Amino acid sequence: MKRSKSLKLALMGATILTMSACDSGNEVAAIFEDVDECARYEGQDLDQCRQGFEQAAAEHIRTAPKYTSVEDCQADFGNENCEQAPMQTTSGGSVFMPMMMGYMMGSMLSGGTRSNVATQPLYRSKDDPKSFRTGDNQKVATQTGVQKVPSNVTKSPSTKTSTLRRGGFGSTAARMSTRSFGG
Amino acid sequence: MHRIRIEERPNWQQLAKEVGFHFHTIDGERYWDESACYRFTLDQIENHIEDPTAELEHMCFQVVDRVVQDEALLQKLAIPHSYWDYVRQSWQNREKNLYGRMDFSYDGQSPAKLLEYNADTPTSLYESAAFQWVWMEQAMEQGLIPPDCDQFNSIHEALIGAFANMNLQSPLHVASSQGSLEDEGTVLYLEECATQAGLQTHFIHMEEIGIDEKGRLTDLQDNVIHTLFKLYPWEWMMQEEFGKAMPTSGTTFIEPAWKSILSNKGLLPLLWEMFEGHPNLLPAYFANDPKAHMVGDTFVRKPLLSREGANVSIHRAGESLENVEGPYGAEGMIVQALHPLPVFEGNHTVIGSWLVASQPCGIGIREDNSAITKDSSRFVPHVIRD
Repeated sequence: MKRSKSLKLALMGATILTMSACDSGNEVAAIFEDVDECARYEGQDLDQCRQGFEQAAAEHIRTAPKYTSVEDCQADFGNENCEQAPMQTTSGGSVFMPMMMGYMMGSMLSGGTRSNVATQPLYRSKDDPKSFRTGDNQKVATQTGVQKVPSNVTKSPSTKTSTLRRGGFGSTAARMSTRSFGG
Repeated sequence: MHRIRIEERPNWQQLAKEVGFHFHTIDGERYWDESACYRFTLDQIENHIEDPTAELEHMCFQVVDRVVQDEALLQKLAIPHSYWDYVRQSWQNREKNLYGRMDFSYDGQSPAKLLEYNADTPTSLYESAAFQWVWMEQAMEQGLIPPDCDQFNSIHEALIGAFANMNLQSPLHVASSQGSLEDEGTVLYLEECATQAGLQTHFIHMEEIGIDEKGRLTDLQDNVIHTLFKLYPWEWMMQEEFGKAMPTSGTTFIEPAWKSILSNKGLLPLLWEMFEGHPNLLPAYFANDPKAHMVGDTFVRKPLLSREGANVSIHRAGESLENVEGPYGAEGMIVQALHPLPVFEGNHTVIGSWLVASQPCGIGIREDNSAITKDSSRFVPHVIRD
């Protein structure tokens, strides 16, 4: 046979929908503002609280949204909620990021199985200060404690940088008038 | 090889709508056309298309191997000087390629002749890989064609396999240019294949890509783009503002930069020079080559970097017979002996032979009313039945 053996009728436009439909499960995660709050919570172990916090704090540097101006950071996260990142731009400029307002980790209460929740920092944005959000700006929860969270917020957040400029690609296509830029 | 008129599936437009295949009709003109299909024998497919495609790919690799080591040739192909090292390294590092489409003139009898190789940004992928496949399944079910048909089309399986084998860093960013529904459809389909291969994907328009202080490419959420599938020509990216960032961006591009040698029409004279007389090649020369007259007085003139037939002209006995206007050609031209497309019931037929990870794995057929296949062509499905 010279053809694909099976082909689930592949979609073009609806791809994203089908992906998120399979992705709507929940995971149990532990969310706390700091180690003390975590350690006070019934069933949580101090060492794990501390370990999780340290891991999240390290992730914070890598995955927090980055800004080259403190004003831009404050516009997104509030006046008191930004700090200087321990890195510089190649031209020696400062980089800013929101402060870590909490952290999330897998919970030992989730039944003893290995948790799928990636330990990570959480933030609060200026326009929605009641919610914890991931570094990828996904809303996680409004309260601390051990709870169910949507599985799309539990994966490890991506590396963040600060974009200097956009629009450096596409100028040739803008001059063309074909319906496809392929061939 | 025959063109057979058949009945259309009564529900196909509804189906196209459901799966998001919106460009089946373009500006009121039919693009997906199942009122006919082409029928091949297995021998025609395997010996006249599949094997030559594999052999030509091997020859193309020899061309790339030569060009990256020869600055005069890089110059001739109008690849900007500042990218020579980058293109060379992409080849020497064996950066993996995903797909390509060789276009053939083939009439079912004489050897298929390579017209050009869309090695960088081939389109008509979804209709070849998926919609054509489903058409045949349903047409057999509904008794519109005999129940024992086959098709040269494992493109879908091959794409999923290739994505799984490329060891890509997730997420895979995929990009096309704003304003082309067709291109967005193509990358959405590729996202589906990548997803089935276990990758996470993230769509972005080419115009939205950003750059950070370290020269890395970024998406709209300020994530660094580690792997980018771009349905956007290398030669355009090399000319644009962010182009100069690419070699040091750390981004893995699909297709890799060495594909800019194969998608260049300068490939055709180089193939002819190295493999003159090969049954699947047509005589071809750079237009400014003193030997260009050897192509004869009936030839096609093409820009090095044209797409969708733009700026291609047909010449016979000193006269220009057919000429498609377009914005290309300043970078140089080639001439190629004319091998007219076969005509089936008034349709000029070109065969697109697909490669995934450099393996031949299927065909898609386009018909046009004129001798130059343009973006007004129609896609017609095919079957294999001895």
